[in-house]
Amino acid sequence: MTTPTRTLPPAVRISLSSLRAHKRRFAGTFLAVFLGVAFLAGTLVMGDTLRNSFDTMFGEATSGTDAVVRSADAITTPGESQGVRRPVPTDLVKTVERVPGVAAAAPDIQGAGQLIAADGDPIGGQGPPTLAGNWITDPRLNPYQLAEGRAPLRSGEVVVNRGTAKKGGLGIGDTTILRTPDPVKVTIVGLATFAGEDGMAQVTFTGMMRADAEKYLPARPGEAASILVRAGPGVGQRELVDRLAAVLPKGVEAVTGQESAEENTEMISSQFLTVFTLFLLVFSGVAILVATFSIHNTFAIVVAQRTRENALLRALGASRRQVTSATLVEATAVAVTASAVGLAGGIAIAAGLQALFPAIGFPFPEGDLVISLLSMLLPLAVGIVVCLGSALLPAVRAGRTAPLAALRETAVDRSGTSPLRAVTGAGLGALALAMTLTGVLVSPSLWLAGLGAVLALAAFVVLGPIASTTVVRVLGGPLGRLRGVTGDLAGRNALRSPKRTAATASALMIGVAVVSLFTVFGASLKATMDQTVSRSFAGDVAVSTPSFGAGGSGLSPALAPAVARLPEVAYAVGLGRGVAEVDGKGRALTVTDPVTLGKVFDLGDVRGSLSDLGTDGIAITEPEADRRGLEPGDTTRLTFTDGRQQTFKVRAVYGRSELAGEYVITREAWAPHRTQDSDTLIAVSFKDGVSTSAGKAAVAQVAARYGDPEVQTRDEFAESSAGGIDMMLTLVYALLALAVLIALLGIANTLTLAIHERTRELGLLRAVGQTRAQLRAMVRWESILVAAFGTIGGLALGGFLGWVLVKASDGASDSTFAFALPPTQLVIVALVGVTAGALAGLRPARRAARLDVLRAIATE
Amino acid sequence: MTTATTTTRTAAAARVVDAVKVYGGGDTAVRALDGVSVDFPAGRFTAIMGPSGSGKSTLMHCAAGLDSLTSGAAFIGDTELGSLDDRRLTLLRRDRIGFVFQAFNLVPTLTVDENITLPIDLAGARGDKDWIDALVDVVGLRDRLHHRPAELSGGQQQRVAVARAFAGRPDVVFADEPTGNLDSRSGGEVLGLLGRAVRHMDRTVVMVTHDPVAAAHADQVLFLADGRLVDRMESPTADKVLDRLKAFEVPS
Repeated sequence: MTTPTRTLPPAVRISLSSLRAHKRRFAGTFLAVFLGVAFLAGTLVMGDTLRNSFDTMFGEATSGTDAVVRSADAITTPGESQGVRRPVPTDLVKTVERVPGVAAAAPDIQGAGQLIAADGDPIGGQGPPTLAGNWITDPRLNPYQLAEGRAPLRSGEVVVNRGTAKKGGLGIGDTTILRTPDPVKVTIVGLATFAGEDGMAQVTFTGMMRADAEKYLPARPGEAASILVRAGPGVGQRELVDRLAAVLPKGVEAVTGQESAEENTEMISSQFLTVFTLFLLVFSGVAILVATFSIHNTFAIVVAQRTRENALLRALGASRRQVTSATLVEATAVAVTASAVGLAGGIAIAAGLQALFPAIGFPFPEGDLVISLLSMLLPLAVGIVVCLGSALLPAVRAGRTAPLAALRETAVDRSGTSPLRAVTGAGLGALALAMTLTGVLVSPSLWLAGLGAVLALAAFVVLGPIASTTVVRVLGGPLGRLRGVTGDLAGRNALRSPKRTAATASALMIGVAVVSLFTVFGASLKATMDQTVSRSFAGDVAVSTPSFGAGGSGLSPALAPAVARLPEVAYAVGLGRGVAEVDGKGRALTVTDPVTLGKVFDLGDVRGSLSDLGTDGIAITEPEADRRGLEPGDTTRLTFTDGRQQTFKVRAVYGRSELAGEYVITREAWAPHRTQDSDTLIAVSFKDGVSTSAGKAAVAQVAARYGDPEVQTRDEFAESSAGGIDMMLTLVYALLALAVLIALLGIANTLTLAIHERTRELGLLRAVGQTRAQLRAMVRWESILVAAFGTIGGLALGGFLGWVLVKASDGASDSTFAFALPPTQLVIVALVGVTAGALAGLRPARRAARLDVLRAIATE
Repeated sequence: MTTATTTTRTAAAARVVDAVKVYGGGDTAVRALDGVSVDFPAGRFTAIMGPSGSGKSTLMHCAAGLDSLTSGAAFIGDTELGSLDDRRLTLLRRDRIGFVFQAFNLVPTLTVDENITLPIDLAGARGDKDWIDALVDVVGLRDRLHHRPAELSGGQQQRVAVARAFAGRPDVVFADEPTGNLDSRSGGEVLGLLGRAVRHMDRTVVMVTHDPVAAAHADQVLFLADGRLVDRMESPTADKVLDRLKAFEVPS
């Protein structure tokens, strides 16, 4: 203990000097940890920042609203976070205004309203709501502020939020159409901002005169979604709410402005942010899982390469613990540095995205990044735990090095193909198969199927080394014939350490498996849509809003009758959407003409009759009826948003619910309770002898008068129903590129280490006449073989998991899911995997070819 | 290099002329070869000897195209090595030179059979099957052809290396301490094989060794010291070589 460095424990000293000496070896590990941690940290920081931004935005926009008066009950249907509330009468404003302490009150009349852009296409409607409402004249109650122009003063004048105007190429003075869903001609007189931004995210808003809003937006005149109230000086929000509550009729409540803002933020968070963040977190999980394999592999190889060194240490008297901890200290150093840098990288990513968002037209309030303690600690902890965990086994193995190992030379490592592994793997595989098959086919259970899927992954990893031997042999055979001894050597090198090959390939396998899982699932969903349409849709053309339910303004209820009057048309039926509580649970209702519905849709077996539902009859789909034990003739009780209850008689039970929905009632039955009147889909079948194109043209002509929604043939309809899937897949692929990148780094790193290990052999090959080109080809082919193995495994696993997911979804829901394997896409995935392997091999191959022959031969 | 000198030396399978090799630069420069000119006659077994640091390995490496000279020239047959790029040098090594190294001569993933034909396979050529068959019998490895190097003893591994070195009928075989890692009996076998190849099969062998017993198998011995060729001995015996080596140590 004389020199300062001696104060460090020997294990630390050894590992730190080893790190310094072999920086290159850990570059791959460092990158893998870095990327995983950065992605995770970026996701968390961005999620928090977005959530905070929305909070601020709503807080600011609604800061002038001290209380909101609205209906007390909301009906929430499954799959929707925002409940449907019954409107309140606008007359209530007068009552509210008389309450002492109220400075101003205004009705908030809301409805769907989609503007038509300058080029004739509707703006938005692909997700975020397209809203229309009355332009509230009290600037402090109005969440939107006038930025340019003036407020609407005459009927037909509107203010739109600036983002919408920009997107639609519209400006002050322009005249366009607003679909409410009936087309209303409007002139833009002002542009508005929301909390200083061009809009509330991607939501489009059109503000009109109160009289216009009352005329076009609500189902019945004289109703508003809510009443916004501003308190006079010295009156607190709570106090105001208490005073309001005293005068409000039954079924109407008042909440503070703050509560209302929080609810809105919460709604956006749960509907959009939570899903978004969760989605990204899943992908960071995949990336980190892939990284785990790469890291483990690096340490395993480094330990193997250092056998002699460790043996020497052991021979000189180092204890097992000292050798083990030397490796662990090394891992810790890499883990801590890479995680810390990764955290910084993640924050940088979030900052970059924050800067990028406005550029892609997504208004994003400026503000500091929100970096919570969790988003600092979690990625760090995950990075360190994953890195240390991956290094643990190799470290223990390092400690077990026998002192005599220094003298042995093991050239070909056959470990990893033991019978025990084969038995364990086969057992796991059989168990996985049994569980998934039971979960999928015998007694449908997502849990069982999911557990089986996880076991299948484990079985793949355990069987990897054995499978790698077989697969590489099979692939290597033709390669040897094709590329001669170079191909032969590449194959044999890939076979050298089945465990290492398998671990390297596993990383890629997982990436490819997730890619193919989504590919298969996406294709299956499309096939399902296609099948649904071709099975249930007996009509010739469909008129639909851009996406089911959510966006757009819907279709005018007058369109279906107008189409039905065409001479070409045999039947035309409009489907509207309503909500009600059925036995206390929110349910979506299909509001339509049931008789025509049965003509244009194939509803399967119908028990009872659809022809006389009347105002108190309901039709229910078979599975739902079975679940609730209902038969034709039974009764069920519905509660509507207006709080009224009504008993309906089940007059029909039909077999297929896919397009028709679970509950069907007549327009007449819905009329007293309706909220907004619009159809989401109109199905049309033509008279015999009318060609599809002629009929389509006739329908389109009528539709032009009702806001010009798109008229689609059956095929087009099926295709557009599945349109969102491709978009989702593109996003998924982009995110998975990261996992694949980490896997490639792993392959490149393993190859580099293997080349280092084989220096002498490479020198020998070069000495006896292997050209540089041949050597490069040899390394590249090895890389391709490993990648091919990973890709094949990934395709098989992903295909299987895709099948499980489809079948399990099929079992878990009423609608039938079709399973489809898209050959083209899967071939592309395979090609990408193998090409990626070739790319991963480029650098190691170049480095190997640069070896100095003499020095290589002399290497110990 | 005049045409006259070349024609008089057609008998040389390999040769170096005024070979100088300097490692490093400045104050730390080391002259490993300091103007060596030597012919390795075809059909002869030449041993290169000398104390460590005498430059004997460097001479072999430069003559065999594994290393380049600082100045001077090295020839295999009539081919001057300095003018060849890496690819041509590699092809030359593959097609016209055989190698036997001290250790790690074989590719562990290839069988004995495949190791023997490795240079031929790298060339994508067919090779002379009868010749290789005969070689396998000479080195006595017929029953081991499908084994991997790890399953062979050190002596057997070196015999495989010898077979590989001659498989493509190269102009010259360079052997770098081929018996350095072997016991005397195995070493004797390997040296016997090299000698037989020269005498019965008309091959050319250049061997670097520090072992007088090994050198005694050669037709002639060249002695190197401090990067210079200092002596030459025909029909060596172990005792004569040992005496000669001892003589080095006295003046130095």
